[in-house]
Amino acid sequence: MSQAAIPRLALRGLTKTFGGVRALDCADLTVVPGEVHGLLGTNGSGKSTLIKVLSGFHAPDAGTLEIDGQPIPLPMPLGRSEAHGLAFVHQNLGLLPEATVLENLIAGDHERLNPWRINWRAEAERARKLFAEHHLELLPQQRVGELSPVKRAQLAIVRAADRVQEHRHHGAPGVLVLDEPTPFLPQEDVRELFAMIRRLTSRGVSIIFVSHDIDEVLEVTDRSTVLRDGKVIGTFETAATGRADLVQAIVGRTVAVDRRVDVLPAAEPMVQVDGLSGAILKDVALSVQPGEILGLTGLIGAGHDEVPMLIAGAHSANAGKLVLNGQTYDIAGMRPGNAIAARIAFIPADRQRAGIAPDLSLTENVTLPLLGRGLALNHRKLRGITMDLIRRFTVKAASPDQPASELSGGNQQKLVLGKWLQLQPQLVLLDEPTQGIDVGARQEIYDHLMSVCAAGGAVICATSEFEQLEIIAHRVLVFDRGRIKAELKGPDVTKSGIAKACYETVE
Amino acid sequence: MQKSDLAYQLERFGLVIVWVAFIALFGALRPDTFLTWSNFSTIFGSEAVLVIVTLGLMIPLTAGDFDLSIAQTLTLVSMATAILDARMDLPLALVLPLGLAIGAFIGLINGAITLYFRVHSLIVTLGVGTFLHGITLWIGNSQTISGVSPVLMEWVIIQRVMGIPVAFYYAIALAFLIWYMLSYTAFGQHLLFTGRGREVGRLTGVAVGKVRLTAFVLSGVLGAFAGILYTGTTGSANPSSGTFLLLPAFAAAFLGATCIRPGRFNPWGSVIAVYFLVTGINGLSVLGFRTFVQDLFYGGALVLAVMVSQLVSGRKERGL
Repeated sequence: MSQAAIPRLALRGLTKTFGGVRALDCADLTVVPGEVHGLLGTNGSGKSTLIKVLSGFHAPDAGTLEIDGQPIPLPMPLGRSEAHGLAFVHQNLGLLPEATVLENLIAGDHERLNPWRINWRAEAERARKLFAEHHLELLPQQRVGELSPVKRAQLAIVRAADRVQEHRHHGAPGVLVLDEPTPFLPQEDVRELFAMIRRLTSRGVSIIFVSHDIDEVLEVTDRSTVLRDGKVIGTFETAATGRADLVQAIVGRTVAVDRRVDVLPAAEPMVQVDGLSGAILKDVALSVQPGEILGLTGLIGAGHDEVPMLIAGAHSANAGKLVLNGQTYDIAGMRPGNAIAARIAFIPADRQRAGIAPDLSLTENVTLPLLGRGLALNHRKLRGITMDLIRRFTVKAASPDQPASELSGGNQQKLVLGKWLQLQPQLVLLDEPTQGIDVGARQEIYDHLMSVCAAGGAVICATSEFEQLEIIAHRVLVFDRGRIKAELKGPDVTKSGIAKACYETVE
Repeated sequence: MQKSDLAYQLERFGLVIVWVAFIALFGALRPDTFLTWSNFSTIFGSEAVLVIVTLGLMIPLTAGDFDLSIAQTLTLVSMATAILDARMDLPLALVLPLGLAIGAFIGLINGAITLYFRVHSLIVTLGVGTFLHGITLWIGNSQTISGVSPVLMEWVIIQRVMGIPVAFYYAIALAFLIWYMLSYTAFGQHLLFTGRGREVGRLTGVAVGKVRLTAFVLSGVLGAFAGILYTGTTGSANPSSGTFLLLPAFAAAFLGATCIRPGRFNPWGSVIAVYFLVTGINGLSVLGFRTFVQDLFYGGALVLAVMVSQLVSGRKERGL
């Protein structure tokens, strides 16, 4: 690592508030030329807000940015970051699978290309040279959809690097922000990617490496900055810092929240899942006893959120067996209709698309599962059912006839919960049930889950919000790459305990 | 958030008001030709075919699919009916069910391709429609087939109730049935969710694939029924009969979705929209405008209707 006096990038006193919540609180970040700088923190720590300030997506409330000693005015106009030598590779990579490698490589390179005539032969030649320089086995005419995941990641990174170098007026290499580039890559491919990162830094490029994976951060970064609750906890020389210290910095000592559940006396399981496999999950087994809330969690790509979807038949499983109150079901053949018949309720994460039909009325949304096959719907009765449900679930609504889009997020979610709980399910599956929901509505949703338990039902809740699990989960399973890697029970179910389990690797 | 009752009622019946204003205007200008019961009864009777095509189109539209082949289904069934009846002398009791079965089969094909290959229905039905037109030209030798049994004509256009040909009452009866289906049956709600909240519907146990397939079959059958009525109305079948019905039907379906039940495809709105459009065209031609007003009117109405419905939904989003 070079010890240049002028940092490549310096952010000072960055502050950003969203509706009274400090997402970033006077955060500093300094990146020197040619280093890989890790950016670490849990969900909600402020990492993504910081990145989005750099890309121009958010305007900060306060703070300054300097690149190579030059002050850059904030907010950064969208699309201007490349001209300042900043390029971003996000987790989804931003590639078009139907287009060729070359088309993807030059897409959006407005400054260099002649918009009236693209010289494809010259561009292909240039691309070949670029790939050779970076030791990449990519062919310009290949379709991106046919590339392996690691090649796609390499293409996205080389594109960003090319853009940054091409557009620096004073020729200094820039900064690449790699935002969670690895969660869906196999181990050996991650190595290949890291070799590429190293080659880039040897040419003077600086890299901000955002990741959840402590091992990867330890392996590839020179220094790392840890964020927690919007504040910078510290910047560490990675090599001199142990894993335990980093985890400690990420997790911190969190204030205990009011835990609303106790240890349950052991009982026969009511739900037993075996051999569950899907897109990410590999041969997972779990069980839930009556009156229990089982929390499922993990980092990005861990697969915990796949469990409710597969059991409910929302996505098809490759294999899996479910025993629910003595009845056996084949999860691979499960369709939503079968799940409903088995008295399973599923509250999906994507509220706007899968939870409610925004154009349709509250009554229509709520009563759809009640209609059955009967002729002659009794609209007065359906309206009455909806009004009753609106009252019981304290949904703030003007009328049962208004479109669901007019409700706030929290009220929409209470409506969805009401729609499913009115069927008196024996198993309730939830995926990120409180995403984008205010504190008050959260508590009410917890209350309803508690009453499901009190009635002897079972709840499985997949979420990446550790605090929520500390409040409501009797037991938590932590997932990693499609498998369960840890189980926490009773008093061990704490925000920091769960975070530790997530960030630690199994030996 | 809640619209005042008067504003909502104005929105619901806006098209009816404009329609009445049109009638008053043309009536004032040409009281002796336009404002006669025979003129209106002719309009009501002869445009029953367009009403039924519009109703047929509305069902897949509600489920989120387009059936561009419905007009060519009409043409093919019209032609097939005429050939089976006039050339092959088969009894009507056999010809009519056969015609409807052809429509159902076409719907099945449309649905199967759309669902199984996951192709957009717009493309599938565009292709199928053109293919059907090819079959029509083939079996009819590109000619008009006449000599259709007078019994069919008797029960479509010659019999009148209150001066209006019975075909009109068939269309109204169908509108009533579809209104009941959409408003009062579980299947109607399933159609609605399939179109407006497909994932919500699927996760709530609605068999969205079956619903879409059924919608295509229903539109095929209604297109076929319209084809039989067409043959009955004119006493013959010609190979271009449906070609000029597709756009008016779309215009009417979208225009109909701006009234009675604004924001949704609805049968009474469609019926009103059809008669609004043909009244306008009839009135303009009585005033002496030539045939190009048809295209101006239908094309303009379609674009205007989608603009209005976009404005209505946009206002709702802003009204949060």
